[in-house]
Amino acid sequence: MTDFGATGSHPHELRRGRSLFDLDDRTRRRNRSEGAFRWLGIGAIALSMVFIVILLGTIVARGLPAFTQTTITIEVPLDAAVLDPNGTGDPEVIRSVLTFGYAPLIERGLAGTVAATGVETELTSSQLPQLLSPGVAATLRDMVAADPSLVGQTVQVEALASGRADGYLKGRVTRESLARDTNLSPAHLDVLDALVEQDLARRAFNWDFILGADASESRPEEAGIGVAMIGSFYMMLTVLLLALPIGVAASIYLEEFAPQNRLTDLIEVNISNLAAVPSIVFGILGLAAFIQFAHLPQSAPLVGGLVLTLMTLPTIIISTRAALKAVPPSIRDAALGVGASKMQSVFHHVLPLAMPGILTGLIIGLAQALGETAPLLLIGMVGFIASNPPDGFIDGFVSPNSAMPAQIYEWAKRADPAYYERAWGGIIVLLLFLLVMNVLAVLLRRRFERRW
Amino acid sequence: MFDNRISERRTMTNEIKIRAEGVDVYYGDNHAIKDVSVDISDKMVTAFIGPSGCGKSTFLRCINRMNDTVASARVDGTILLDGEDIYDKRVDPVQLRARVGMVFQKPNPFPKSIYDNVAYGPKIHGMAKNRAELDEIVEKALKRAALWGEVKDRLAAPGTGLSGGQQQRLCIARAVATEPEVLLMDEPCSALDPIATAQVEELIDELRQDYSVVIVTHSMQQAARVSQRTAFFHLGHLVEFDETDRIFTNPTDPRTESYISGRIG
Ligand SMILES: Nc1ncnc2c1ncn2[C@@H]1O[C@H](COP(=O)(O)OP(=O)(O)O)[C@@H](O)[C@H]1O
Ligand SMILES: [Mg+2]
Repeated sequence: MTDFGATGSHPHELRRGRSLFDLDDRTRRRNRSEGAFRWLGIGAIALSMVFIVILLGTIVARGLPAFTQTTITIEVPLDAAVLDPNGTGDPEVIRSVLTFGYAPLIERGLAGTVAATGVETELTSSQLPQLLSPGVAATLRDMVAADPSLVGQTVQVEALASGRADGYLKGRVTRESLARDTNLSPAHLDVLDALVEQDLARRAFNWDFILGADASESRPEEAGIGVAMIGSFYMMLTVLLLALPIGVAASIYLEEFAPQNRLTDLIEVNISNLAAVPSIVFGILGLAAFIQFAHLPQSAPLVGGLVLTLMTLPTIIISTRAALKAVPPSIRDAALGVGASKMQSVFHHVLPLAMPGILTGLIIGLAQALGETAPLLLIGMVGFIASNPPDGFIDGFVSPNSAMPAQIYEWAKRADPAYYERAWGGIIVLLLFLLVMNVLAVLLRRRFERRW
Repeated sequence: MFDNRISERRTMTNEIKIRAEGVDVYYGDNHAIKDVSVDISDKMVTAFIGPSGCGKSTFLRCINRMNDTVASARVDGTILLDGEDIYDKRVDPVQLRARVGMVFQKPNPFPKSIYDNVAYGPKIHGMAKNRAELDEIVEKALKRAALWGEVKDRLAAPGTGLSGGQQQRLCIARAVATEPEVLLMDEPCSALDPIATAQVEELIDELRQDYSVVIVTHSMQQAARVSQRTAFFHLGHLVEFDETDRIFTNPTDPRTESYISGRIG
């Protein structure tokens, strides 16, 4: 453009007799603009790096607390008078005691533990259990149900602290913020401080967050992403088992076998268009086709997987076709030239060479599907409380479940700030999965590219 | 540097291997080959020469039906291999290509080992009952392609790692490994240096003992050196087809004469 601008006199005449060390205006101008362009590029990259650092920093800072959880060590007397009033010793009778029956025992145990610390408090012993999760009674009941011989003994329990108490240790809850809170009072925090001092209350790594199930709205301290992770796993398995063979077969047919005509052109255009269709459209399509028409169960990972398969197929087909197209035609000629059939030439030579590209496309598609939330909204996987892991492999496909991004969305919606923290924690887990998938994509590509 | 000695050692059998009659090829509306009839003899090297774009490759690719892979291509007329019409409905082009091998302009070894390159054809045609037989076929093919000595110690090395001339000889080995009866070569030396070219030319002359060889070349010297018969194509027409000596010393058509004297092309 400007490089071609007329300078008035013939450049070669200007150039003649001039020293090489003496840059002419044109060169200087060109160097200036090249320099400016380079700085522009560096600036753009620096800016995006800054954003990535801010993004990752925020996610880590907000999500990391979800990976630890506070427990309070208490000594609970498993009073036989409460759990087995008639002294039957019958495990069935003991198991029939409701969690409700354990509450007074926990109250007594906590009061004893607190009294042992020697801290002065105006709280009555019935107010103290607000420091603990309501789920502790159920945990205790499960423990006794598993081993009825514990009745009559005093057991030491690592009781889960309540969301508020846990929040205090993580700095999320302060005395000021408790002023308007009916669940916990500053007096509780004094007790908590004393417990922390004696190492009776402490934060430890929270495996239950990664492996556990979702909990009800009032018990954020118990909620985990594990079951939703299983849901995501089954969806990914469905997508992998369907989208890979269908996508690759469709691509091979379109790229290598299909005649070039109006129909294939139309199909091609439509596949490209489908890749740009908003994912929620696939969601409503899945609702209509798989749930209302085919009567598949609602909220089932199988249906989620089918919807995500539809959504992922265009991506896989487009990248697979690009990978096939990138294989030099001379390879096909070579195979046909020695008397290989079309199919032999494709499967023996073209496909192996296209493999790195196909795998990259597949993993990008899977990663996309893993993070997808909107279509799950319409088939009932968002908002489903995934509180029980599936029983067995087949059940995993059909029993109602959630998925990681849906679980995160669900937590972010809930009122308790402890859930907000878990939403960020869930984001970290999701990002780790995506990271692993991307690394896998790179490794697979390397592995397959090594065949010269 | 080169003389015509190779073509002096001719063996004139006049058994016809391929007979083309009134062949027309169209790419869509482009009439690329116009009414070409030619007889290609067995155990002889036939060269196709002519300016670029005149249809040499197109006609060559008709002989093993490689044009079937070009969607827009249409072939009319008959081509007989040993008296049988290769465009007959009952003919499977894949089976035909096992009998009519092809070597391409640009060396195109598979991105596999040298061994696998040569073994591929015999494998898919079930020519070897076991590994030992396959080894034998590979060795024989590589020897025929005058490559054995250079690669016998690294058969597992990638074929794509060889030099250009070696790659082309590997492609020839790959083609002869399936024991074809006709070998089609489309400018096999155009990507090679003079030394590699000389090696390949020598090879072609040896292959003549067993095969009917058809070679497309843009180099008239090459045609003169390796072939016994030469066909001159111009704008889709077969202008002249005769003994190579005659074409180069005493052409009948003025177009042939101007081409070989450097005025066309
Ligand atoms: N695949 C193809 N599709 C369409 N036209 C082609 C194709 N291959 C060759 N042609 C046309 O056919 C004519 C002959 O080409 P070709 O046989 O390659 O000539 P040569 O090998 O003698 O240089 C040219 O006009 C060329 O443009
Ligand atoms: Mg050509």
